[in-house]
Amino acid sequence: MFCIRGCGRRVAASLIKQHLASVRFGGDSAAPWTPHFDVVVIGGGHAGTEAAAAAARCGSRTLLLTHRVDTIGQMSCNPSFGGIGKGHLMREVDALDGLCSRICDQSGIHYKVLNRRKGPAVWGLRAQIDRKLYKQNMQKEILNTPLLTVQEGAVEDLILTEPEPEHTGKYRVSGVVLADGSTVFAESVVLTTGTFLRGMIVIGLEMHPAGRLGDQPSIGLAQTLEKLGFVVGRLKTGTPPRIAKESVNFSILNKQTPDNPSIPFSFINQTVWIKPEDQLPCYLTHTNPQVDEIVLENLHLNCHVKETTRGPRYCPSIESKVLRFPNRVHQVWLEPEGMDSDLIYPQGLSVTLPAELQEKMITCIRGLENAKMIQPGYGVQYDYMDPRQISPSLETRLVQRLFFAGQINGTTGYEEAAAQGVIAGINASLRVRHKPPFVISRTEGYIGVLIDDLTTLGTNEPYRMFTSRAEFRLSLRPDNADSRLTFRGYKEAGCVSQQRYERASWMKSSLEEGISMLKSIEFLSTKWKNLIPESSISSGKSLPLRALDVLKYEEVDMELLARAVPEPLKKYTQCRELAERLKIEATYESVLFHQQQEIKEVQRDEALQLPKDLDYLTLKDISLSYEVREKLHLSRPQTIGAASRIPGVTAAAIVNLLRFVKTTQQRQAAMNRVPKIDQQLRDTDRLEESQL
Amino acid sequence: MLLEEHYFTAPKRASPRLLSLSLASRSEDLQWMGSTSSKGPNDNRELLSTLPVTPRSGRDLLQGLADPRGRVGRRIADCEPMWRGLWTLVSRAARGPHRRSARPYPADTHLFNILGPQSFTGEDCAEFHVHGGPAVVSGVLQALGSVPGLRPAEAGEFTRRAFAHGKLSLTEVEGLADLIHSETEAQRRQALRQLDGELGDLCRGWAETLTKALAHVEAYIDFSEDDNLEEGVLDQADSEVRRLEVALGVHLRDARRGQRLRSGAHVVVAGPPNAGKSSLVNLLSRKPVSIVSPEPGTTRDVLETPVDLAGFPALLSDTAGLREGVGPVEQEGVRRAQKRLEQADLILAVLDASDLASPASCNFLDTVVIPAGAGNPSGSHQRLLLVLNKSDLLPAGRSDPHPDLPSHLLLSCLTGEGLDGLLEALKKELAALCGDPSTGPLLTRSRHQHHLQGCLDALGQYRQAKDLALAAEALRVARGHLSHLTGGGGTEEILDIIFRDFCVGK
Repeated sequence: MFCIRGCGRRVAASLIKQHLASVRFGGDSAAPWTPHFDVVVIGGGHAGTEAAAAAARCGSRTLLLTHRVDTIGQMSCNPSFGGIGKGHLMREVDALDGLCSRICDQSGIHYKVLNRRKGPAVWGLRAQIDRKLYKQNMQKEILNTPLLTVQEGAVEDLILTEPEPEHTGKYRVSGVVLADGSTVFAESVVLTTGTFLRGMIVIGLEMHPAGRLGDQPSIGLAQTLEKLGFVVGRLKTGTPPRIAKESVNFSILNKQTPDNPSIPFSFINQTVWIKPEDQLPCYLTHTNPQVDEIVLENLHLNCHVKETTRGPRYCPSIESKVLRFPNRVHQVWLEPEGMDSDLIYPQGLSVTLPAELQEKMITCIRGLENAKMIQPGYGVQYDYMDPRQISPSLETRLVQRLFFAGQINGTTGYEEAAAQGVIAGINASLRVRHKPPFVISRTEGYIGVLIDDLTTLGTNEPYRMFTSRAEFRLSLRPDNADSRLTFRGYKEAGCVSQQRYERASWMKSSLEEGISMLKSIEFLSTKWKNLIPESSISSGKSLPLRALDVLKYEEVDMELLARAVPEPLKKYTQCRELAERLKIEATYESVLFHQQQEIKEVQRDEALQLPKDLDYLTLKDISLSYEVREKLHLSRPQTIGAASRIPGVTAAAIVNLLRFVKTTQQRQAAMNRVPKIDQQLRDTDRLEESQL
Repeated sequence: MLLEEHYFTAPKRASPRLLSLSLASRSEDLQWMGSTSSKGPNDNRELLSTLPVTPRSGRDLLQGLADPRGRVGRRIADCEPMWRGLWTLVSRAARGPHRRSARPYPADTHLFNILGPQSFTGEDCAEFHVHGGPAVVSGVLQALGSVPGLRPAEAGEFTRRAFAHGKLSLTEVEGLADLIHSETEAQRRQALRQLDGELGDLCRGWAETLTKALAHVEAYIDFSEDDNLEEGVLDQADSEVRRLEVALGVHLRDARRGQRLRSGAHVVVAGPPNAGKSSLVNLLSRKPVSIVSPEPGTTRDVLETPVDLAGFPALLSDTAGLREGVGPVEQEGVRRAQKRLEQADLILAVLDASDLASPASCNFLDTVVIPAGAGNPSGSHQRLLLVLNKSDLLPAGRSDPHPDLPSHLLLSCLTGEGLDGLLEALKKELAALCGDPSTGPLLTRSRHQHHLQGCLDALGQYRQAKDLALAAEALRVARGHLSHLTGGGGTEEILDIIFRDFCVGK
């Protein structure tokens, strides 16, 4: 057993001393006092909480280590969850019984489904969330999760041992060293450090080390990872200033009211905690040329913008918007931070100017003329690990049993972090129990798309989910996340509760029954037109139409259909969710058939596993160009399917890989097979040949 | 479902060729035929799977087919409806529009139906063996391309499937990667060749327009709600798609070359009376089509005969000699000849080499040959070959008796001298008209057309889709088809356009 210790860690350690692990917050009073856990999760952000809870749900004794227990569940940036693509991720996290959707349903203060008019496959569930409530509810949940222990402490180093020979990797992690020198042993470790790895906060020309405003960064850990040989990159992101609510003149601004009824995030909720009429509105205002002027005149005072570190193109600071699209007016949404919060979050106004200039800029904006800035906006620059160094189970290739999730992998956004957290937590737990990893394919969910993109292609800017990233967008919808993932989560990972499993099973069988019922009812189109006069069914030609085809018409829903054919369709309208899902299935029925065929093709390729320990650069039995070798070496695809998605890997190279896989399989099979059976098989072959 | 093409050229014979089309499928893909019969015990397996695919066995099978009670004929009748349907489709396409029962071609199309797992790929397979030249190949490919669910196989796809089903031993596979490499390399070069020039510019332009339209629709889906995309993003995409649809439609309808290759180029033989037009027609078709006599004006109507000219199908028309001041019947013949000249893909202008100074010859040169721009075929839209017949009547020893004429060929229909030169020139002209199948672009072109048609169909679906996610899906499919021709089309490309064109994000 040996340690690799960071030389700079003492800087951080001395500052964090006051939060040493003297107090333990335990949900599970029966947990033994010996500091040895199945899974240790480092970080209490969106990835960390999901990872810790998932590992505990899977039955592992889990420890969540965080700098401060009172920042667990902190929403460090925007006071909202979900959106287009991100809402999909939340539904999938929920289908695996993750936390964020359920906590949001207890903390939302303004629910709105985006893309309502654009088709259910791209609906974006979104809500403004009360920061305080979210944090409270999350902490309550985390501190009361069975098998999960929470402890304060800054992790400075990893304890490493010799690797297990049957897996790839140079080392194996077996615990962590805290800032006070104490150690915790662990079978698996999940790192969810967010922006804390060598985090630097930038306001104007000032830079100081911090993971989040007011929190210390992790420097020792970053150095440890770099020394181990991880390829480290640097990214930046930013957050807008906060404004005092009473100083905003809302009366002259556009008001946006929430949806009625509210659509909950979680499959197990029928309603949310708050009535639509009690929810808070958002307001819209715009930037103007004065804002541009202030930004452009003060670029020399803005080192965050000058740096070459990559920031997100899709979460741009107001500076980069002004620079890239000059002379345009940009939207600023004024969002409430909570029910009784006196802060307003100006979404779209991420800025790193010196604080006094930020205030000057804000007061140029309509409605904000007298606005008081409570906290300035700032930029954060932080280390991330090239995600091509982790496998789709999120375990690092270099260090066995070490998992990465969240911004450390180069993503941005609460939902992206939560999605990775669930997967890392599940896999950390499965790894301890020597079970095969739980991997979601990109044909099964946005989580799969996210992880596949990261692990095969890497990223050089903070990665955010979009629906356009998913090839099988019409199959991977928010409405059917449960039928895609809940059963797998229940059977393979054991992370899904019995109650959720039963609800998903009921929904699945009701849907199947409903669809076959709708297929079996068939009338002539003229009769349908008479039954449903509101519909735009053409009565010109009389053709037989199934009820399912009628349901495809935009203006027809289950309600109308059941009124036309009460028996036997009435019962399918009693559950609102079921009726809506039947309508959605009908909308996409024709395309889904073809998409299923394509999905099967992709899955066939994904079933062909590539050996994990291949050294592509020196591999002898395979003819590959050096260029292809390098690409494969960098991405380390796990399957033929993943390999074929790497740009520059040719069809010929894929066949060579295929051949390699087959040879390996045959060699393995030959080793395992009893010679007698082999003989029998050959005899049967001969028999068949002679018959032909 | 795949479609792969093999040519089996019979040794030492240029034409007709024996073509084998392989179709491999998983049976569920073929539900387009409405096949309901379950796969019974298949008695044709032992016969079909052991037959070596050679021209010889093709001949044997043919005889079986010709006899309705024959062994093979019965077997085809026993086939599942899906295979029978395909067979009907292919044999209809192979027969072609000008094929008459009296033609000396061997009559029919054979289907080898090989059921998995005995087939090459391990899946149910069909091989079609068709007699005929490039026109037949093109026709059959086009017919197969019209079947929903059928698509041309990707490079090496058959082999990959075979491999995936454990049908190839490892030693067999060793050469496979090289093969696929050379195949893709050849395709790439072919595509490059084809994409050089006007058509390439067109394709790239279409792909660019479509990618942009798709990026705008995707941006509208992923960003418009909480970002201020400019007004009318979707309308702009709509109008671009509509423009693209029109352009593609026009291009596909104007596939004159493919048409010529299927039904034959119109080759019209014209000239003044008694220049030897009918003799030339008879010589080229190797049979007495027209009555030949020394009397001017023997041919009074247009006589058509389908011929195989240097491997290309052609419709050869003999016409009345062009002259004025004759009786009403011949006058009508001249009128018809002139009309036919206007429709010709290629004019074989025949003059009497010994009678170039006559008014009829001069008139013909001035009205037909010079306007068509003989000698400058690239500049004219109607191709013309000038043939000076009766070279045997010229005094021997003079190599080129008519330097002041546009470029021309000397021929003697009587002795056959100059025929080889004429055939060579005809081949060149027809290759330019129909596309030369021997250099390979035939397959690429049918692929080309397949993808363009697929793209057009998808664009139609875009217009009809009410649901924006469905509309975007249709555009993705359309882009997928074009990317087979031009490459590109990845998600990153779309995102790059989105972030370049719009200021999105919070």
